[in-house]
Parts: sequence; structure tokens; C-alpha cells
Amino acid sequence: SKMHFIFSNEVVLLFDFWSVHSPAGMALSVLVVLFLAVLYESIKVGKAKLLHQAVVSVSVLSSQQLTEETDQDSSASDSAPVSRARLRWFFCHFGQSLIHVVQVVIGYFMMLAVMSYNTWIFFGVILGSAVGYYLAYPLLSMV
Amino acid sequence: VDHSHHTGTSHMADNSTTVPPHHHHHPTTSAHHSHGGGMDGMMMSMTFYFGFKNVELLFSGLVINTAGEMAGAFVAVFLLAMFYEGLKIARESLLRKSQVSIRYNSMPVPGPNGTILMETHKTVGQQMLSFPHLLQTVLHIIQVVISYFLMLIFMTYNGYLCIAVAAGAGTGYFLFSWKKAVVVDITEHCH
Repeated sequence: SKMHFIFSNEVVLLFDFWSVHSPAGMALSVLVVLFLAVLYESIKVGKAKLLHQAVVSVSVLSSQQLTEETDQDSSASDSAPVSRARLRWFFCHFGQSLIHVVQVVIGYFMMLAVMSYNTWIFFGVILGSAVGYYLAYPLLSMV
Repeated sequence: VDHSHHTGTSHMADNSTTVPPHHHHHPTTSAHHSHGGGMDGMMMSMTFYFGFKNVELLFSGLVINTAGEMAGAFVAVFLLAMFYEGLKIARESLLRKSQVSIRYNSMPVPGPNGTILMETHKTVGQQMLSFPHLLQTVLHIIQVVISYFLMLIFMTYNGYLCIAVAAGAGTGYFLFSWKKAVVVDITEHCH
């Protein structure tokens, strides 16, 4: 099938109800995909920072508990403090997995939006990726 | 014909949007969206739908026609997405392990005031013909192929299969990153 990029004010994006006919509708749709692309780049950075925080906080928690245990009488059961750190790690990781699902879905949505071959939408995705990367990636190196 | 879920009155006449979703895939008469210029007569759906009749999946012989086949396809796609996440993690850890090899090259260089200094070059990496690098290359090709397959599956716009991709990715990430995240060095984690 022959497909190529076109400039058009008409497109149907992703869902049946997202049907655009007018310049105003197209402008709004471009803003939405732009926001989606910014969100995608931000989520990538956010995930990495969350992982960092989770590892740091859980290791702090574990070392605190370790010093508590060595200070106390060793006959005390150590299952509760250790499982608290593990539980916290479990929730952190589960939350990250949910964020990962959102990231995967948004990535595919952006791919499908570009697949509409509408040039305005394509510009929105590219510009949003640029803005998102520009704003979010410096935050990676910040502790 | 039910127009209640469309707001515009000048909406193009297109039988697949005015029909309730579970009728979307009438095998012989479905003419999907002809919006967006130059796509008349294309049998591909361009919006999300839920259905299991006449769903072609990647290859010409692979057509889903029953709920049972769709369930099987769901499981297969779910596992494929999970495997993809696992493959990514496995490649990362393999790369870290194989980069233990560090080569030091020391050479004398002239320094200030006529002294001789020893300049030491440290090279971290893999040799081209080493087994780890060849293995990484093979795994990379597999990863690229699977990622394109997942993209093409998502491109079918079939709601069940798309959910399978997303859920499989999330489950795979959860299961395989569990151990990795505990081991990883914080400073090197930047996608």
C-alpha cells in the first residue's frame, strides 16, 4: 500500500472518537500528542530517578536495621526488620513496573500516531520528544 | 444506526465507526476507515477495536477466527513481550560481566623539564572476535526482531493483543528487573 506524509486537517488518531476535521481540532490534537511525547521522555527519566531513590532508601533502611540488630541482643528475631525492607522494595518495584507499562503503552501510541502519516501530528511528536528530552534529561544527573 | 457517540454532524459516512465495536470485523464487508488520504480499500484497522474474528497476525497463515485462538494468541504475545524484557535485562548483565576485561597499556612519554613520564592507557571493552561480543551481536539481532514483531502486533490495533503486549512487558519488567535492580550500580543507571 502506498503511504506518504501529507499535510491535512483530517485524521483519525488511535480511537474511533478521536476524529479530527478542522484546523482547530488538528491544533488541539497536535498539542495532545506533543504533551504525550513530553510525558514519555519524562517518564523515562522519572523511572531512573525512582529506581535510584528506591535503592538508596531501601539500603539505608537495611543498614539501619542491621545496626539495630547488632546493638541489640542477638536472640531477638531478625525476620521482622528484614521483611520490612523487602516489603518496601517490593512496593517500589511494583510501582516501577506499572510505570513501565505506562511507558510502553505511550511509546506505542506515539508510534501509531506517527503511522497516521499526518505531517502535523508527526511534527507534534518530534517537537514533544525534543522538549521532553531537553527538560527532563538534565534532571538525571541531579541527585 | 447509532450516532450517539459521535459529536460532529459532518462526520464522514463510514460504516465501521457507526457500528458497535463487536461488529467491527465483518469478514467480507468490512471497509475500515478511509480517513487520512490515500487509504481507501485498506483492510487494516486504524483505530483500536476488540474482536477475534478474522484477525491476521504477522504471517499470512496465522489468522485468528475463534475466541479460543485469540486466547492462545494472547498468551503467546504475552510471553513474547515478557521474553523481550528478559532478553534486555540478560544482555545488560552479560555486557557488564564481559566488560571486566581491562587492558592497560603503559608507554613512556616526554614530560616537562626533560623528564620521562609513564602514560598509562586503560581500555575497557571487548575484542571484536571474542565470544561475548559475538553472543551480544546474536542476542541483539534477536532483540531487534522481537521488538519489530511486538510493534507489528501492536499495529494490528486489536485491543486484546495490545493489552497482551503491555501486560507482558510490565510482567517481564517486574520479574526480570527484580534482581537486576538490587545489583545495579546507581551511577550507571541512565537510560
